[in-house]
Order: sequence, then structure tokens, then C-alpha cells
Amino acid sequence: MTVGIDPLNPAVAVAPARRGRPRMSSRTGGALLTVGAPLALFVLLAIAWQWTAATFKSVLPPIQDIVTDIAGRPEFYLENLLVTLEAALLGFVIGVVVALLLAAAIVHFRFLRAAIMPVALLLNVTPIVAISPALVVAFGFNQIPHVIVAALSAFFPTLINSITGLRAVDPQALEVFDAMSASRTEVFFRLRVPSSLPYIFAGARLSVAAAVIGAVVSEFTGSSKGIGAVIVMATTYLNLPQMWAAIFFSALTTLALLGLVGLLERLVVRW
Amino acid sequence: MSDTAMSDTTAQIELTGVGRTYTRGKKTVEALTGVDLTIEQGEFITLFGPSGCGKSTLLRLIAGLDTQTTGEISIFGSTPKQASSRKDIAWIPQSSALLPWLDIESNASLSSVVNTRADRSGATTRRPEAAVGILEEVGLGDFRASRPDQLSGGMRQRASIARGFAQGAPLMLMDEPFSALDELTRDTLRIRLLELWEHHRKTIVFVTHSAMEAVLLSDRVVVMSPRPGRIREVVDIDLPRPRTWELTETSEFTAKVAQVKQILWSAWEGDE
Ligand SMILES: Nc1ncnc2c1ncn2[C@@H]1O[C@H](COP(=O)(O)OP(=O)(O)OP(=O)(O)O)[C@@H](O)[C@H]1O
Ligand SMILES: [Mg+2]
Repeated sequence: MTVGIDPLNPAVAVAPARRGRPRMSSRTGGALLTVGAPLALFVLLAIAWQWTAATFKSVLPPIQDIVTDIAGRPEFYLENLLVTLEAALLGFVIGVVVALLLAAAIVHFRFLRAAIMPVALLLNVTPIVAISPALVVAFGFNQIPHVIVAALSAFFPTLINSITGLRAVDPQALEVFDAMSASRTEVFFRLRVPSSLPYIFAGARLSVAAAVIGAVVSEFTGSSKGIGAVIVMATTYLNLPQMWAAIFFSALTTLALLGLVGLLERLVVRW
Repeated sequence: MSDTAMSDTTAQIELTGVGRTYTRGKKTVEALTGVDLTIEQGEFITLFGPSGCGKSTLLRLIAGLDTQTTGEISIFGSTPKQASSRKDIAWIPQSSALLPWLDIESNASLSSVVNTRADRSGATTRRPEAAVGILEEVGLGDFRASRPDQLSGGMRQRASIARGFAQGAPLMLMDEPFSALDELTRDTLRIRLLELWEHHRKTIVFVTHSAMEAVLLSDRVVVMSPRPGRIREVVDIDLPRPRTWELTETSEFTAKVAQVKQILWSAWEGDE
């Protein structure tokens, strides 16, 4: 059945996995390496962290202070986490859906490509989070600016990857379709879309990270809720444990969304 | 062999004065020139020649994947594009080009889900066949539910050939379908293809670099030469059928292979 799913595959691969490539790593030695090595580094980093926290009190808080803070008011963090998660997820879905629709249109119509690509590239060189204050002015103190920033951030990686994927069809398979006079719609749905899925998912994983960054940073302005707002609050009160707890939760948000995308990929890409 | 006077054009594939020139900027490449050829229905014919002599170009023109710059091509009385729109042409590429997300059976029955307009218009000599039966015939009966990446290269190529036969098209075009395989696999697939052809009697135009393969498979070998791509000579292979591996050890066979190669070499010397 499902072959070639690599349990050791890190969630943030950029290029789609090549099919048919033999997976390396011998069972036991590989597991020891992929679990043991990062674990060892983690421990090392934790020791370095604690030493820094003890030596330079204003640089890092001790880990136990962060844990105590979270344990002392979990509902505070959960509430703000959900606000950010909502903005990031909503933005991610909107950005990815728009990107996919545009990619489909672009591979079908030359003039659309000519029209859309320069704008998309311009968007890509714009630091999107910088738009956030302008959006707050336009839409007010609510979720809309942060959803828009997350969506704009998520848009580009999926657009580029799905265009690449939709064009990266096996030319010989395309000939098989053409020799039977397959319609453009048939070629699109039976050949282009399936063969682009690994690329689309690679793009979607990049979009997840971008959407969360977009949402969190956007919440720095014009928001009293969300992980970004919690970070700003912590800055005002010089509350280091709260700041690092919030950063931890923003990483958690990304991980949760990556897990969701990964799950979807396993369900859809089974070759 | 094929000098029967009755010329029913709907029973033949006819190429007259076919040429193809590629233009890229100011540069033009005459990939193919002055090709005259008549292929009988049910014939196994091979295009043989060195790299760059226009074999693939010619095959793509017959398939309607490309259009000739001069001349006419008639596929059983229609243009290649018309024949293609009726799904009357099966294309078997060099790599198996199976779809990795489909199992072998779905891959083999691809023609039944593509260009379904052709299935509704009745005007065709095509006889689609159940993919399952053809897969049995090529020895893949037990692998219907497997995915392409679970099969060996030879098995994938068999699945690709099964896909072609399941389409049931009267004309099958194969561009070096065995060239990426190892020698042993290649030999067995050659014999399998002959068995399939004996059974289904399609018209097959087959492209190869190998004189031995050309002689083993074909009724006629079209020897081509490059710059510009053209036909040197068409050699009748009047060896008995059905052909088996033992045939390759006979002196008649070896002589035919030598003859075909000889034409190729003399064409080269004529070039100097
Ligand atoms: N799309 C193209 N544009 C420009 N030139 C081309 C194109 N396709 C083929 N040619 C040229 O036409 C000539 C014949 O090419 P073709 O691929 O038909 O040869 P071939 O006999 O199939 O060779 P091979 O055995 O290597 O597959 C070559 O000189 C090639 O460079
Ligand atoms: Mg070729």
C-alpha cells in the first residue's frame, strides 16, 4: 500500500521527495542517530541557556520561570494562542486557496501569467508585516488585519510551488495523453494536478510558517489579544518569562499547523 | 511481399513527400525530408537508424503530436489529428511514463477515462480491451493493485505496453520502448511484444537503434540516415513467423542483421 513515507522526514522539507529514491538509514543505527543526536544537542543548549540566565539576568529567564508562568495561568496562554491560531489558520487557508486558483489559471492562460507574476513578485519583495499598521487603520482593532497579513504571507510560497508543480509533468506522460487527444481539462485533472501535489504540499509547509509569522508580528500593532500582543505586553513590563512563553507558543502554533498539513499530505499523496 | 496492386487507402498508412523543418531564430534544421512510405494494416514496421536521423520526428508526425512542413500523411484515410481524436493511435514512449499515483490496473486502463468524447462517436475501428486481460497476457495479473514504484523497470514497461494494447487502437507507435532496460529484460520483452502482436494484430511502427531488434520484430525495416533525415532503404524481413528466440541463432537471421547494418554504414560513407 503506502510506500515510501519516511517517519524521519523533517516536517519542513522544501523540495518534494523524489519518488523511487531508495530511503537510506539502516533501521536501528538511523533511529539512534535521528533521535539521539538532536536530543544531545537539546540538552547542551538547555545547559547553555541556564548558564546564560544565571549569569546575565536581563538576557534570558531561567527555564523553570517560564514553566512556572505557563503552569500558573494556562488559560491566559491558551486563550491568546487560540486567537493567533485562528488568524494564522484562516489566513493560511485563504492565502493557499487563492494561490492554488491563480496557479491553475496561470498555467492555462499566458496573459494571466504575464499580468499576475509581476504583481506577485512585487508582493514577495514587500515586507508584508509592514502593511499591518496600515491595515489596522483601515479595518480597526479586530482580527481582520492579522488575517490579511497571514494570508498575504502564505500566498507566495504556495503560488510559486504550485506553478512549478503544475508545469513539472513528465513530458512522456503528456505525450501519451496528447496522442489520445485528451482535452485540456483531462490533462489538468488527471495529470497536472496529481503530479503537482508533492510540490503543492512543499509550498504549503512554507506557507504555514509564513502565515504564523505574519499573524504574530501583525498582532504587535493594534491588538490586545494573541501571541503577538502577549509579547508586546511582556516588553512593556519587562516580563522575560512571559515573553519566552509566548515565543514558545508561537512555535507550537507553527508545529500544530505543520502537523495538520502533514496529515493531509499523507492522506492525499500516497505514492 | 507487400506489392499487392490493390491499394485501398483506408487499409493503409500513407506518407507522401513528408518533411519537417525546425526553425529556431535564423537557424533551420531539416529533421526529415522526402519521406515516402506505405504501411499495410497489421504490419510490424521498424524505423532504424543512427541518432538524429529523424526517427522520433517521423513517429511524432504519424501520431499527430507534431505537424509536417511538407507532404501528406494519411492514417487509414484520415489525417493523424483526426485519427488521434478518435483515439485510433496508441503511443508507447521510451520510459514507461506510468502515473505513479494510480495502481497498475488504473494505469493500464487510462485510455478508457481520457478523451471520452471519442467513445461516444461510433466511427472507429478501435476495439478497447479490458486492462485486466492484457495485464494477464503480459504476466502482470498479480500486480494489478500495485503502484508503479513497486515494480521493476521491465514490469513497468510491460504495464506501459499493456496500457497501449488496452486502448485497442488499430495503430500503435513505439519510440525505443526497450532502450532503457537491461539486455536480459529487453530480450524477454521483445518476445512478449511479438506474442502480443501475433494475438492482437495491430499495425505497429517501432523505433529502434538496434539492428538485431529491428530484424527480430519486423516485417520490414526502414533504414534511415541523418542530415537531412531521410529513408535510405526499406528492407523486407522474410523470416518465418511466429518468431522465437531460436531464430536469432540461425544464419538467415544473422545475415539479415548484417544486411541492415551494411545499408546503414554505406549511407554513412556516402555522407563523407
Ligand atoms: N523540437 C525540435 N527543435 C529543433 N530541432 C529538433 C527538434 N526535434 C528534433 N530536432 C532535430 O531533428 C533531428 C532529428 O531528431 P529526432 O529526435 O527525430 O532523431 P532520432 O532519430 O529520433 O534520434 P535518436 O535516435 O537520438 O532519438 C535532430 O537533428 C534534432 O536535433
Ligand atoms: Mg528519438
